[in-house]
Amino acid sequence: VSQGPARIAAGLLTDASRRLDFRFDGEPLQGLAGDTLASALLANGRRLIGRSFKYHRPRGIVTAGPEEPCALVDVLGAAGREPNLLATTLPLTAGLRAESQNRWPSLRFDALALNDLCGRFLPAGFYYKSFMRPAWAWERLYEPAIRRAAGLGRLDPVVADTAAPAETVHDHTAVLVIGAGAAGLSAALHLGSRGVPVLLAEQDVVEGGGTLQAVRWDGWRQIVDGHLAALPCVRRLTRTTVVGAYGHGVFSALETLSEADSARCGGLRERLHVIRAKRVIVATGALERLIAFPGNDRPGVMLAGAALSYLRRYGVAVGGAPLFFVNNDEAYEAAFALSAAGVHVRIVDSRSASRAAECARALGIEVHTDSQVCRTRGRRAVAAVTVARSGGAEHRQVATDCLLVSGGHSPLTALATQAGAALEWTDSIAAFIATTGPDVQVAGAARGVFGLAAAAHDGTQIGAQLATQLTCSAVATPPPECPADEARSLPAPLWEVRGPGKAFVDLQNDVTSDDVRLACREGYEHLEHMKRYTTHGMATDQGRIGGLTGGAVLAQARGVAPAAVGQLRPRPFAQPVTFAALAGAEVREHYRPKRLLPLHDWHAAHGARFVPTGLWLRPLVYGQGSGWEPVLAEARAVRAGVGMTDVSTLGKIDVQGPGAAQFLDFIYANTFATLAVGRARYGIMLREDGMLLDDGTTTRLAPEHFVVTTTTANAGIVLEHMEFHLQSSCAHLEVTLTDVGDQWAQFAVAGPRARELVSRITTGVDLSNAAFPFMAGSAATLAGLPGRLFRISFSGELAYEAAVPAAHAETLWTALLTAGESLSVCTYGLDALNTLRIEKGHLTSAELNGNTSAADLGMQRLLKKQGDFIGRTLAQRPALGAPERLQLAGVRPLAPAERLRNGAQLVAANAPAQSLGYLTSATPSAALPGWVGLALLAGGAQRHGEHLLALSPVHGERTAVEIVSPHHFDPENLRVRA
Amino acid sequence: VSAPEAGVALAACPLDVIELAARRAASGALGDAAARRGQPLAPLGHRRTCAAGLTLCIRPGRWLVLSRPAEAGAAALLWQRDCAGSGTAVDLSSALKGFYLRGAAARELLARGCRVNLAPGAFAADGAAATLIAQVSVIVAAVPQGLLLLTPATTARHLHQWLVASGRPFGVSVRGNVTVERICEEGPA
Repeated sequence: VSQGPARIAAGLLTDASRRLDFRFDGEPLQGLAGDTLASALLANGRRLIGRSFKYHRPRGIVTAGPEEPCALVDVLGAAGREPNLLATTLPLTAGLRAESQNRWPSLRFDALALNDLCGRFLPAGFYYKSFMRPAWAWERLYEPAIRRAAGLGRLDPVVADTAAPAETVHDHTAVLVIGAGAAGLSAALHLGSRGVPVLLAEQDVVEGGGTLQAVRWDGWRQIVDGHLAALPCVRRLTRTTVVGAYGHGVFSALETLSEADSARCGGLRERLHVIRAKRVIVATGALERLIAFPGNDRPGVMLAGAALSYLRRYGVAVGGAPLFFVNNDEAYEAAFALSAAGVHVRIVDSRSASRAAECARALGIEVHTDSQVCRTRGRRAVAAVTVARSGGAEHRQVATDCLLVSGGHSPLTALATQAGAALEWTDSIAAFIATTGPDVQVAGAARGVFGLAAAAHDGTQIGAQLATQLTCSAVATPPPECPADEARSLPAPLWEVRGPGKAFVDLQNDVTSDDVRLACREGYEHLEHMKRYTTHGMATDQGRIGGLTGGAVLAQARGVAPAAVGQLRPRPFAQPVTFAALAGAEVREHYRPKRLLPLHDWHAAHGARFVPTGLWLRPLVYGQGSGWEPVLAEARAVRAGVGMTDVSTLGKIDVQGPGAAQFLDFIYANTFATLAVGRARYGIMLREDGMLLDDGTTTRLAPEHFVVTTTTANAGIVLEHMEFHLQSSCAHLEVTLTDVGDQWAQFAVAGPRARELVSRITTGVDLSNAAFPFMAGSAATLAGLPGRLFRISFSGELAYEAAVPAAHAETLWTALLTAGESLSVCTYGLDALNTLRIEKGHLTSAELNGNTSAADLGMQRLLKKQGDFIGRTLAQRPALGAPERLQLAGVRPLAPAERLRNGAQLVAANAPAQSLGYLTSATPSAALPGWVGLALLAGGAQRHGEHLLALSPVHGERTAVEIVSPHHFDPENLRVRA
Repeated sequence: VSAPEAGVALAACPLDVIELAARRAASGALGDAAARRGQPLAPLGHRRTCAAGLTLCIRPGRWLVLSRPAEAGAAALLWQRDCAGSGTAVDLSSALKGFYLRGAAARELLARGCRVNLAPGAFAADGAAATLIAQVSVIVAAVPQGLLLLTPATTARHLHQWLVASGRPFGVSVRGNVTVERICEEGPA
């Protein structure tokens, strides 16, 4: 079994029969199926993997999991470059092309390694104090240069090669067990055997956690695996990292699909699980932590547990003659395993004596107790270390190609604290543990229960407690026998070995112990302040291996115990999550829904150009040609003859019941109780603060039956507003509200010949002016269909709106077109509709913008004097009647050839820097020469006849305009009543 | 729609939809009126099938009555007549579109967008719920052989496209229309 010079044994996860070719920085290499990129690189003897964030120091592989701070790589694929992938979790695939990051021109010779030499000038927060002068240079020179020099991977535009590289799945379970180590597996087995639905999420590619490190636990794991496989109520997800706990039993978990699963799912790479669980057990285990000493970042310095992982899982020896630097018995497992595999190991233990040291000596392993590693040496990787007796005496050099460090183990508490657990300092492990709380159970090493057998027992106990809470009466299967834990000596806290040189507490952000002390000296004594000053504990690894070490250094600087400093509590996400995973399948055409008109296909087939308005796609214009010409042609056709447009997007609310009229009187600022059956009325509704909310027409179809129309933009808002008040302030009224917006297709037929056209498709209604006057509305038979006809106008023309059930929209539309052929009927789009309404001075959301009152828009007279209505009191605020408020006005250029722009600022010629208001709507006129516009202008109602300037700095335009009435066209309203 | 052994079949289900709303203290009378018409009203959170179709209730005091499409507005007129005094009947036949999903993976497919737990043990065999799927409103009702989805007509195409795209890994097959009577049958549809 050999693939790479350091491959010395068969691995649990590797398949020696399947060799995979890959490249790192262009160099062709081979690994095995089942390898990670990191294990394959280590098997090939590669130790230099990248350059550090700030100092560009050589960096190697430190861990064997997602906590890796240094071995981040770019992966080049057909779809582009993907940065910042962890070599320690990236599965090796055939043809993988990976590149090191943050170096130039090459990994071995990085020009920016100069930063390391200048390190004394670049302490934490140096940019807060430097580069102050000249001021202009910060944005133009310093910041761009710093940004270019710092950072990790390079973000190229990535074009996904699949339609949806990620998806979202909603999962539900009674108990979510996070982590499938000894504790998690035991808890899941207990609960599952009692029939409790369990979702077991494990971030690793296989279950087992710490049991994977110990050969004698293989049998136990296989038995548990068999039992769990036979339990249909237990769902197991590997490669699935729970990344956030959000309260109320909601968790998110990121599943990374295997290559085979991805191929089976059409290229899907990630799956974001949104999990809703009644209970949660956090069994996330513990992580080995760093010791800060000069040169603890050199390639070849690795955590001891990682070395054991590489050996057990991939059959890789991480060094030829590794030296261990430890303060705890657990770390000796790696030494024993490597020694058993034939690797010569030596151990430096900061403690004076321990059971493990005795065992090691019994096995013939050289152990230096009461000693410490003071520094490392080596250019691009560790070549030797300096060892001294505790207290600094008896320095000596020890040659080694690999230094395996273990500063103890820190429980992984991030998810537990997010779920509501508290943290508690435990002297025996010199770390914070998570405590079980009302909403979260913690099991195993995460709550300080160390030792695999103890963790397994703890998992079973926690599972039993939860089953009781869930009132489960079924009897559990007895847990399988497991190997007993060996007696262990306690670890002796060792956070830092001080000496000359950089001793890192955060390898990813290049934060040294001196940086932490500097932060403390500068007053950033709180852990969270120190974090922000130094960036300690930020970025992808979230300080998982050095977080507590940094906190302990801070504690020493403050002269307090580490327990007094506390521990960082990471918010979600506990692990980096790609944007693709967050977007899921809601990308491209699924990014957001499109609301389609009932006649969308007809409009598309007849040349309509569409415009998105909210979620709607509406026909903008039908005619060919560019610019305003086709729009004006449509608008002129309406003014001259007859045109029809699709207004189905209007909100429509059916209001029924004995209290309907009274309810509408309360909702609207004007009166509806007096509205006769068969008549419509324009109405305005206010918000509670007295500002305008919406406008529209309401038609009384029967004594207790109204239909309300709203603007397209506010359809949902108005329905919510009405529902809210019906259930709160009007709960005493017997009213039923139904959203019928999608039920009715509605078409406006406008123009001097509208009556002629509508009469051709209408039966049962006398359309004469006397019988069906302006603002009439009733049920009608339209093109043989049961429908509704309203004589209302948004164009300033004689107009009707005809509505039929949307499923029959095309019948009515084509009937109108056919009947109108001899009248040269035209279809017109949203632009022409807008032109017509601006000419007439009608309002849309540009004017009903949430900041305008009824008085601002000249509708004060609509506010009823008698009776209450929403917004009545606050609409009477004197400030709303102030003459300097922005009020609706019309605008026309003095020179008809000049154009107006939406948003142009209105200013006086003698005070061009002071805005008096702005244009809300502008259009070339179909009926008048030149452009017409509407504006919100300070005191606009009193400024008719004044000359101002309309400035559009964006376009470099300056137009002399006259302020006029907003009703540019037919101000006497003669045409609508024709 | 024939049942695929594994995977999902998706079909449109044309429907007449009438929304009934009971007046205060008149739920009983409205229920009697519905029963007389052969379409008994379902309890809240459930659907009830009958020969003519089904009723479902996802909001207190409101019911959706689903039946095979008839002449435009005809069903609404009948219900308005029969409900007079006890409630209102509003035609939503054009407002809502029906899709029928069946197959072993139907629930798994919907879990890609639906927050409601549709697992058989959690969602009643006659359950009905209002939720969001693919950002649009959807009413989900468990029917004997599958799931009925009702969604606003104007976003129906979006939902359909999402169902087809999300169903691809499950081998979704898009079928012709299915009648409401067929989806209410207890046996294989």
